[in-house]
Amino acid sequence: MTETHEATGAASDAAPPPGSHPRHGLDEVIHAPVRFSIVATLAAAEKAEFAFVRDTVEVSDSVLSRQVATLEKAGYVAVTKGYVGKRPRTWLALTADGRAVFAAHCRALRAIAGAEG
Amino acid sequence: MGEYASSDAAAALARAQELSSMVRKRTAWYVRYQVVYGCAAGLLVLVIGLVKAPFGPAIGAGGWGATIAVLSVYAARQPVARRGFGRWHGIMIGTWALLYSAVLWLGLLFFRGDVSWWVPGAVVVSLPGLIGGYLEARK
Repeated sequence: MTETHEATGAASDAAPPPGSHPRHGLDEVIHAPVRFSIVATLAAAEKAEFAFVRDTVEVSDSVLSRQVATLEKAGYVAVTKGYVGKRPRTWLALTADGRAVFAAHCRALRAIAGAEG
Repeated sequence: MGEYASSDAAAALARAQELSSMVRKRTAWYVRYQVVYGCAAGLLVLVIGLVKAPFGPAIGAGGWGATIAVLSVYAARQPVARRGFGRWHGIMIGTWALLYSAVLWLGLLFFRGDVSWWVPGAVVVSLPGLIGGYLEARK
Protein backbone atom coordinates (compact mmCIF):
# COMPACT_ATOMS: atom_id res chain seq x y z
CA MET A 1 0.00 0.00 0.00
CA THR A 2 2.63 2.45 -1.00
CA GLU A 3 0.41 5.42 -1.89
CA THR A 4 -1.84 4.96 1.07
CA HIS A 5 1.10 4.68 3.42
CA GLU A 6 2.65 7.79 1.89
CA ALA A 7 -0.60 9.61 2.31
CA THR A 8 -1.03 8.37 5.83
CA GLY A 9 2.26 9.76 6.94
CA ALA A 10 1.55 13.19 5.51
CA ALA A 11 -1.24 14.56 7.66
CA SER A 12 -0.25 14.51 11.29
CA ASP A 13 -2.18 17.75 11.87
CA ALA A 14 -5.49 15.94 11.37
CA ALA A 15 -4.82 13.34 14.08
CA PRO A 16 -7.59 12.56 16.57
CA PRO A 17 -7.01 13.77 20.13
CA PRO A 18 -4.96 11.41 22.31
CA GLY A 19 -7.07 8.77 24.00
CA SER A 20 -10.04 9.10 21.67
CA HIS A 21 -11.21 6.24 19.48
CA PRO A 22 -9.55 6.21 16.06
CA ARG A 23 -12.97 6.30 14.37
CA HIS A 24 -13.06 10.02 15.16
CA GLY A 25 -10.33 10.42 12.55
CA LEU A 26 -12.63 9.14 9.80
CA ASP A 27 -13.93 11.76 7.42
CA GLU A 28 -17.67 11.60 6.86
CA VAL A 29 -17.51 12.80 3.27
CA ILE A 30 -15.07 10.16 2.04
CA HIS A 31 -16.33 7.46 4.39
CA ALA A 32 -19.02 6.44 1.86
CA PRO A 33 -17.69 3.46 -0.13
CA VAL A 34 -17.99 4.97 -3.62
CA ARG A 35 -16.49 8.28 -2.57
CA PHE A 36 -13.71 6.44 -0.74
CA SER A 37 -12.93 4.50 -3.92
CA ILE A 38 -12.91 7.68 -6.01
CA VAL A 39 -10.56 9.42 -3.61
CA ALA A 40 -8.31 6.33 -3.30
CA THR A 41 -8.04 6.20 -7.09
CA LEU A 42 -7.21 9.89 -7.34
CA ALA A 43 -4.71 9.66 -4.45
CA ALA A 44 -2.44 7.55 -6.65
CA ALA A 45 -2.78 9.92 -9.59
CA GLU A 46 -1.80 13.48 -10.36
CA LYS A 47 -4.94 13.69 -12.47
CA ALA A 48 -7.25 11.19 -14.11
CA GLU A 49 -9.90 11.29 -16.78
CA PHE A 50 -13.50 11.02 -15.69
CA ALA A 51 -13.95 7.86 -17.81
CA PHE A 52 -10.89 6.22 -16.28
CA VAL A 53 -12.16 6.84 -12.75
CA ARG A 54 -15.65 5.63 -13.73
CA ASP A 55 -14.25 2.35 -15.12
CA THR A 56 -11.80 1.84 -12.26
CA VAL A 57 -14.37 2.42 -9.53
CA GLU A 58 -17.02 0.57 -11.56
CA VAL A 59 -19.89 3.02 -11.34
CA SER A 60 -22.11 4.73 -13.90
CA ASP A 61 -21.52 8.22 -15.29
CA SER A 62 -24.40 9.65 -13.27
CA VAL A 63 -23.26 8.09 -9.99
CA LEU A 64 -19.71 9.33 -10.51
CA SER A 65 -20.95 12.81 -11.42
CA ARG A 66 -23.04 13.00 -8.27
CA GLN A 67 -20.29 11.76 -5.98
CA VAL A 68 -17.67 13.99 -7.60
CA ALA A 69 -19.99 16.97 -7.12
CA THR A 70 -20.14 16.16 -3.40
CA LEU A 71 -16.34 15.83 -3.21
CA GLU A 72 -15.89 19.05 -5.17
CA LYS A 73 -18.28 20.89 -2.86
CA ALA A 74 -16.24 19.65 0.12
CA GLY A 75 -13.10 21.01 -1.55
CA TYR A 76 -11.48 17.57 -1.91
CA VAL A 77 -11.58 17.20 -5.69
CA ALA A 78 -10.85 19.67 -8.48
CA VAL A 79 -12.62 19.23 -11.81
CA THR A 80 -11.07 20.54 -15.03
CA LYS A 81 -12.64 20.44 -18.46
CA GLY A 82 -10.72 20.54 -21.74
CA TYR A 83 -10.25 18.96 -25.11
CA VAL A 84 -7.95 16.28 -26.55
CA GLY A 85 -8.17 17.04 -30.24
CA LYS A 86 -11.88 17.62 -30.80
CA ARG A 87 -12.99 15.36 -27.97
CA PRO A 88 -14.13 17.01 -24.75
CA ARG A 89 -12.52 15.56 -21.63
CA THR A 90 -13.09 16.01 -17.92
CA TRP A 91 -10.13 15.61 -15.58
CA LEU A 92 -10.35 14.91 -11.87
CA ALA A 93 -7.64 15.57 -9.31
CA LEU A 94 -7.39 15.58 -5.53
CA THR A 95 -6.79 18.97 -3.98
CA ALA A 96 -4.19 19.45 -1.24
CA ASP A 97 -7.05 19.38 1.29
CA GLY A 98 -8.35 16.19 -0.26
CA ARG A 99 -4.97 14.51 0.04
CA ALA A 100 -4.58 15.58 3.66
CA VAL A 101 -8.06 14.36 4.60
CA PHE A 102 -7.54 11.05 2.79
CA ALA A 103 -4.23 10.62 4.62
CA ALA A 104 -5.90 11.18 7.98
CA HIS A 105 -8.77 8.88 7.00
CA CYS A 106 -6.36 6.09 6.04
CA ARG A 107 -4.47 6.51 9.29
CA ALA A 108 -7.70 6.19 11.23
CA LEU A 109 -8.57 3.07 9.23
CA ARG A 110 -5.20 1.54 10.00
CA ALA A 111 -5.60 2.37 13.68
CA ILE A 112 -9.03 0.72 13.73
CA ALA A 113 -7.76 -2.32 11.83
CA GLY A 114 -4.76 -2.59 14.13
CA ALA A 115 -6.46 -1.80 17.44
CA GLU A 116 -9.38 -4.15 17.06
CA GLY A 117 -7.89 -6.71 14.72
CA MET B 1 -21.04 7.52 11.34
CA GLY B 2 -21.92 4.16 12.88
CA GLU B 3 -19.63 1.60 14.46
CA TYR B 4 -16.83 0.51 12.23
CA ALA B 5 -15.30 -2.94 12.68
CA SER B 6 -11.64 -3.66 12.20
CA SER B 7 -12.54 -6.01 9.34
CA ASP B 8 -14.35 -3.13 7.59
CA ALA B 9 -11.31 -0.91 8.04
CA ALA B 10 -8.97 -3.61 6.73
CA ALA B 11 -11.26 -4.17 3.74
CA ALA B 12 -11.31 -0.44 2.94
CA LEU B 13 -7.51 -0.28 3.12
CA ALA B 14 -7.22 -3.33 0.88
CA ARG B 15 -9.57 -1.68 -1.61
CA ALA B 16 -7.44 1.47 -1.55
CA GLN B 17 -4.35 -0.60 -2.26
CA GLU B 18 -6.08 -2.42 -5.10
CA LEU B 19 -7.17 0.87 -6.70
CA SER B 20 -3.68 2.32 -6.28
CA SER B 21 -2.22 -0.71 -8.09
CA MET B 22 -4.71 -0.29 -10.93
CA VAL B 23 -3.69 3.35 -11.34
CA ARG B 24 -0.01 2.40 -11.30
CA LYS B 25 -0.49 -0.17 -14.03
CA ARG B 26 -2.28 2.36 -16.21
CA THR B 27 0.52 4.92 -15.80
CA ALA B 28 3.20 2.57 -17.24
CA TRP B 29 2.92 4.54 -20.49
CA TYR B 30 5.35 7.06 -19.01
CA VAL B 31 8.13 4.41 -18.97
CA ARG B 32 7.74 4.00 -22.75
CA TYR B 33 7.57 7.78 -23.19
CA GLN B 34 10.88 8.35 -21.41
CA VAL B 35 12.71 5.49 -23.13
CA VAL B 36 11.63 6.70 -26.58
CA TYR B 37 12.59 10.25 -25.59
CA GLY B 38 16.05 9.12 -24.45
CA CYS B 39 16.73 7.03 -27.55
CA ALA B 40 15.53 9.78 -29.91
CA ALA B 41 17.62 12.40 -28.09
CA GLY B 42 20.81 10.33 -28.47
CA LEU B 43 20.16 9.36 -32.08
CA LEU B 44 19.38 12.91 -33.20
CA VAL B 45 22.47 14.30 -31.48
CA LEU B 46 24.53 11.84 -33.51
CA VAL B 47 22.80 12.95 -36.72
CA ILE B 48 23.34 16.64 -35.95
CA GLY B 49 26.98 16.15 -35.07
CA LEU B 50 28.13 13.59 -37.60
CA VAL B 51 26.08 14.18 -40.76
CA LYS B 52 27.47 17.07 -42.81
CA ALA B 53 25.70 20.42 -42.71
CA PRO B 54 23.14 21.40 -43.79
CA PHE B 55 21.72 17.86 -43.85
CA GLY B 56 22.65 16.85 -40.27
CA PRO B 57 21.13 19.87 -38.49
CA ALA B 58 18.12 19.86 -40.84
CA ILE B 59 17.41 16.16 -40.29
CA GLY B 60 18.09 16.57 -36.56
CA ALA B 61 15.70 19.52 -36.20
CA GLY B 62 13.00 17.86 -38.31
CA GLY B 63 13.37 14.53 -36.53
CA TRP B 64 13.23 16.20 -33.14
CA GLY B 65 10.10 18.15 -34.10
CA ALA B 66 8.42 14.94 -35.27
CA THR B 67 9.48 13.04 -32.14
CA ILE B 68 8.15 15.74 -29.81
CA ALA B 69 4.88 15.95 -31.76
CA VAL B 70 4.32 12.18 -31.60
CA LEU B 71 5.23 11.95 -27.91
CA SER B 72 3.03 14.95 -27.04
CA VAL B 73 0.01 13.41 -28.76
CA TYR B 74 0.76 10.07 -27.08
CA ALA B 75 0.95 11.71 -23.64
CA ALA B 76 -2.17 13.83 -24.18
CA ARG B 77 -4.21 10.73 -25.03
CA GLN B 78 -3.39 8.93 -21.79
CA PRO B 79 -6.26 8.80 -19.28
CA VAL B 80 -4.19 9.08 -16.12
CA ALA B 81 -0.86 10.45 -14.91
CA ARG B 82 0.70 9.15 -11.74
CA ARG B 83 1.08 11.25 -8.62
CA GLY B 84 4.15 13.48 -8.92
CA PHE B 85 4.22 13.20 -12.71
CA GLY B 86 4.53 16.94 -13.36
CA ARG B 87 7.49 17.43 -11.05
CA TRP B 88 9.26 14.30 -12.27
CA HIS B 89 8.72 15.22 -15.91
CA GLY B 90 10.02 18.74 -15.30
CA ILE B 91 13.22 17.37 -13.74
CA MET B 92 13.74 14.94 -16.64
CA ILE B 93 13.19 17.59 -19.33
CA GLY B 94 15.25 20.19 -17.46
CA THR B 95 18.22 17.83 -17.08
CA TRP B 96 17.99 16.80 -20.73
CA ALA B 97 17.84 20.45 -21.84
CA LEU B 98 21.00 21.33 -19.91
CA LEU B 99 22.95 18.35 -21.26
CA TYR B 100 21.63 18.77 -24.80
CA SER B 101 22.56 22.47 -24.88
CA ALA B 102 26.07 21.79 -23.55
CA VAL B 103 26.81 18.89 -25.92
CA LEU B 104 25.43 20.71 -28.96
CA TRP B 105 26.99 24.08 -28.20
CA LEU B 106 30.50 22.75 -27.48
CA GLY B 107 30.28 20.17 -30.25
CA LEU B 108 29.23 22.57 -32.97
CA LEU B 109 31.89 25.08 -31.91
CA PHE B 110 34.87 22.78 -31.37
CA PHE B 111 34.14 19.19 -32.44
CA ARG B 112 32.32 19.21 -35.79
CA GLY B 113 32.35 15.67 -37.21
CA ASP B 114 34.47 14.36 -34.33
CA VAL B 115 33.14 10.90 -33.43
CA SER B 116 35.02 10.88 -30.11
CA TRP B 117 32.87 13.86 -28.98
CA TRP B 118 29.51 13.08 -30.51
CA VAL B 119 29.17 9.41 -29.52
CA PRO B 120 29.77 10.02 -25.79
CA GLY B 121 27.69 13.19 -26.13
CA ALA B 122 24.80 11.19 -27.58
CA VAL B 123 25.01 8.72 -24.70
CA VAL B 124 25.01 11.53 -22.12
CA VAL B 125 22.01 13.25 -23.75
CA SER B 126 20.03 10.01 -23.83
CA LEU B 127 20.63 9.32 -20.11
CA PRO B 128 17.85 11.48 -18.57
CA GLY B 129 15.20 9.63 -20.57
CA LEU B 130 16.73 6.17 -20.13
CA ILE B 131 17.44 6.55 -16.41
CA GLY B 132 14.03 8.15 -15.94
CA GLY B 133 12.36 5.22 -17.68
CA TYR B 134 14.34 2.73 -15.61
CA LEU B 135 13.45 4.43 -12.33
CA GLU B 136 9.83 4.78 -13.36
CA ALA B 137 9.63 1.08 -14.22
CA ARG B 138 11.07 0.13 -10.82
CA LYS B 139 8.47 2.10 -8.85
